[in-house]
Amino acid sequence: MSEKLVQYLDGALSEAEKNTVEHQLASDSLLKQEYENLLLVKESVRQYGLKEKVSGIHELMMEELSAPVKKINPAKKFIRYSISVAAGILLLAIGYIGYNFFTLTSEKVFSSGYQSFTLSTLRDGTSSESAIEKAYREKNYPLVLQLHDSNYIKNQKNEFLSGMAALELKDNSKAITYFNNVISINKLETPAVLSDESEYYLALAYLRNEDYDLALEMMKTIRNNPNQLYRNKITNMLIQQVKMLKWR
Amino acid sequence: MEVIKNFPDSELVANIRSGQKMNESIKAIYRAYYDSLSWYVINNSGSRQDAEDIFQEVVVAFIDLVQKNKFRGESTVKTFLFSLNRYSWLNELKRRNRALVREEKYEMGQDRLEMDAGAMIADREGKEEIVKLVSQLGETCRKILLLFYYENLSMKEILDNLHYENEQVVRNKKYKCLKQLEQLLDANPALKQTLKNLLNG
Repeated sequence: MSEKLVQYLDGALSEAEKNTVEHQLASDSLLKQEYENLLLVKESVRQYGLKEKVSGIHELMMEELSAPVKKINPAKKFIRYSISVAAGILLLAIGYIGYNFFTLTSEKVFSSGYQSFTLSTLRDGTSSESAIEKAYREKNYPLVLQLHDSNYIKNQKNEFLSGMAALELKDNSKAITYFNNVISINKLETPAVLSDESEYYLALAYLRNEDYDLALEMMKTIRNNPNQLYRNKITNMLIQQVKMLKWR
Repeated sequence: MEVIKNFPDSELVANIRSGQKMNESIKAIYRAYYDSLSWYVINNSGSRQDAEDIFQEVVVAFIDLVQKNKFRGESTVKTFLFSLNRYSWLNELKRRNRALVREEKYEMGQDRLEMDAGAMIADREGKEEIVKLVSQLGETCRKILLLFYYENLSMKEILDNLHYENEQVVRNKKYKCLKQLEQLLDANPALKQTLKNLLNG
């Protein structure tokens, strides 16, 4: 019977054989005892198998869970360090550009390129000093503009000094008008007087007036002219700053 | 590289119950709960080795209970494992009779879930005895019985694994091994009782 009972335990009997065994189990206590013993044997194998399986995985998991941080070889370390440094520099650069981008103003850029014009460069030692020249030399800029409007002789010198006086008084519109007057007169008369100066200060006047396209156009004209005295003052940085102001 | 997978409770229990993806499921339990469960043991007078042993015991008990449909999902897997862990460790401490553990703390700490867990989990020594018993079999016998009764392989699959002449030879060998184990068990009535408890809960 033992063998048949094992087959019953394993579920290997036909339906009819199974019924027969079950009938016998119900009436034969010794057979039932034998079957219960077989169930315990099977359970011991199950318990052993389960314990073995968990034990095997336990070892693996202990290695995984307590795995030390892998040592990085020197080459990788150097690459990682370099990438970190590069990333740091990039961040700083982005921060610097961002800071400049958001704190840049037309006034700041104007001030970086502006230098007060000193009249001594105008004197040729032969001609007498006009009232506008005198007022400009004395830095009486409102009087310069007043004289320009009242007692007015329209020439390049008076237009240029009036333009500079207007710049000093932060009257961009007037400055733009007067520098443009110098350029217009120079187109009609020779020799050209104060032409380079007028172009440069006109570019600055456009810049402070936030006419960025006109400022850039004038700056390009100056840069493209190899004989322009102020050519070197139109730096790449200055052009970039004006472009940044335009994009904002 | 192996994908580290976390199962939701329902999927984990279903996998264990069906015996599918057992390795992945056991690994998921380790990854999700080993740290916190071992922390409990270590912070209650246990060593790292104690924590490891108790965790293994807990995982074995959990799988066993799920496969016998005794985990019904009334609590989360996490809560259930914590209870098993707590019960197993306090039981172990009690067994060791450590003065460090105050009996009243232990009694007060027992909630309904722990009492249930206690009834479900067999004593540690008993389980160790089972392992010793099966280990007394020869390697071939152990292998055949494990493949058939634990891995649920068919005779044909076992034949492919062990390279016997035919299925009947394997069947005969398996029968002999079973009888051998039965005799070993007959000589150990206490272990029979442990197995009865495990089998019937």
